[in-house]
This record gives sequence, C-alpha cells and structure tokens, in this order.
Amino acid sequence: MDIVLRGCVIFVFLYVLMRVIGRRELSSLEPFDLILLVVLGDAVQQGLTQDDYSLTGAILAIGTIAMLQLAVSFTNFKFPKLRSIIDGEPIVVVQDGKPIDKNLRRERVTLDDLAAAMRKQGIGSLDDVQWAVMETSGIISFLKKSDS
Amino acid sequence: MSSRTGEASFEPRSVAAEIPDRIVLKRHRDLSSLGFNRPARYAILVLLGLVLVLGLANVFGQHPQTVTARSAKADLELYAPDHLRGGLLYEARFTIRAHESLKHAVLQLAPGWTESQQMNTIAPSPLAQTSRNGSLLLTLGPVKRGEHYTLYIEFQVNPTNVGRRSTDVLLYDGNTQLLAVDRTITVFP
Repeated sequence: MDIVLRGCVIFVFLYVLMRVIGRRELSSLEPFDLILLVVLGDAVQQGLTQDDYSLTGAILAIGTIAMLQLAVSFTNFKFPKLRSIIDGEPIVVVQDGKPIDKNLRRERVTLDDLAAAMRKQGIGSLDDVQWAVMETSGIISFLKKSDS
Repeated sequence: MSSRTGEASFEPRSVAAEIPDRIVLKRHRDLSSLGFNRPARYAILVLLGLVLVLGLANVFGQHPQTVTARSAKADLELYAPDHLRGGLLYEARFTIRAHESLKHAVLQLAPGWTESQQMNTIAPSPLAQTSRNGSLLLTLGPVKRGEHYTLYIEFQVNPTNVGRRSTDVLLYDGNTQLLAVDRTITVFP
C-alpha cells in the first residue's frame, strides 16, 4: 500500500513541479541537466521504494506511475478545458520578425537562446521568421515568412 | 473577423490569415488562458520554498535536541532527534548524572522507542533487558555519586513507521522512580 501511495505523491509532486518551473528547463539537456536527471532519478527511487528490493515492489511502483500517466493523458484528451492546466499551452514568442519580450521574459528565454534555436532550424535572421512558437515541450517552432 | 480556429481575433486580415493552425493570439500571444495563471504558479513556488525553509528549520528532522530532567538524586539528559523520517539512522544518548549514589539504575523506555524502529547497537550493553507493560527496561547497574553514565543507542526508523509516538524515558533506582522525560517523536514519510 505504501509504495502505491508514495508513487502517487511523487508523481503529483513531479508533475506540478515540472509545470511550475517552466518549459525552458524542460527543453534543454545540457551536460549539467543530464547529471541533474540522474540525481533526481536516484532521489525519487529512494523515496519511492526505499529499502524494498522486491519484484512486487518494483511492479507496484512502475504500475502506479504508468496508470497515473495514463490517467493524465486520458484527462487531457477527454477534457479539453483542463488541457491548458495539465499540459500548458504553446506561447507565441515572435510575430512577424519581432520578438515578444513579455512572453520571452515569462519563459526566461533570452534573445541569444532564441537565436540559437533559430540556427538549429537553419534560420539566420529574425527577419525571416513570421512566427516562433514555444511548444509545451519547451521546443521553439519557427515558421518562416512566405517570401523568405 | 475570426481566425482559423473560429475564435475572435482583432488582427488585420493579412496577419490573421497567416496565424498557424490552433494558435489563438488572444490565448497564446496575449496569454489570457488559465494555463498561464501566474499567481497560481507563484503560489506553488512559494509553497515549495516554504517547505524547504521548514526543512532548514529542522521541522522534518533530524537535528538532535537535548532534554534534561532533574531530581535531587540524579539528572537525566537525553540527546536525540524528535523529528524523524522513514529510513533514517540516528543516535539517542542517555546521560545519567548521579548527585547521590544509585545502587541499581534502570531506564524505562516507552514502546515508541522500539515500535517499528530497528535498534542497531546499544553500548554499553545493559546488565539486563526486560519488558514492563510494553515498555523496555534496561538495567544499567550502579552509578556512583558525582559520576555520570552514558548509554548510546543507535536506531533506524522503519519506512512504514509514520506518525507520532510517545518516547518517554523514566529513570529508576531499583523500584523507585526518580524522574521522567515526557517526549514524543514525529516520523515523516
């Protein structure tokens, strides 16, 4: 029973945490982020199963997280009104070549970050961008101007 | 004028025609959606910060505290944490300072000390261990006047041991109770 309860608490905590820290942190996977990911996984495992090395414990822990993930995605699909809260929404960060400062600031994205993301998609100048949209995953999608 | 998503837009026709599918400027550029609720986001972050501050303030353990009970014949000093978390290893140190000679010092530990807690080590070993109404009795033997006797017990909290438990400690000389320490531990999951 404990593992299922702990699994639920950790899942909800991590979900809320990922939503509030912002998508900028989600999109980057720098070397330090990788280390953090491993440390986070270790901390979560210890809180989840503690000294339980049993197969039953592992099945309960993994099963709980899988079922909760399924419940979240089902809720997301079934109730569109909750989608913006559960999953977030895309944010327009550039319109017609002009960066929208308020939205960039909200997601703590600098113009340098924006330029780096553009370069990854083969775009050299903001003038070529009609729309840039920061997706819920943290990735920035660029739509070029039709004449560029 | 309406965008491709059918929601109202006040953009010029040329701009509205180029808006990517499923993007609504009022929601996704002007951030009017509930998903962009800043106060809620800040409230959660403040709550999280508060939990961390409480952690620093030892609310969730395991920094030890000293509790002292005094009597004419002896003092008992207990140095142990009273806020714990599942799985933690910790030490409890019991120090008896005899103002008068104790012929037969006995410590009585309430059931909360042993309930769902591993007792890993006890040093020095008591002369005898027994049970009295669910409490653990540790016979320590004589303690001369002016001397002090220190007993160390190392514990580990079982992960399922969550809640509050009484961990009172009573000091006897033979069958005479000399003093008592009223104490409760809180175990966090």
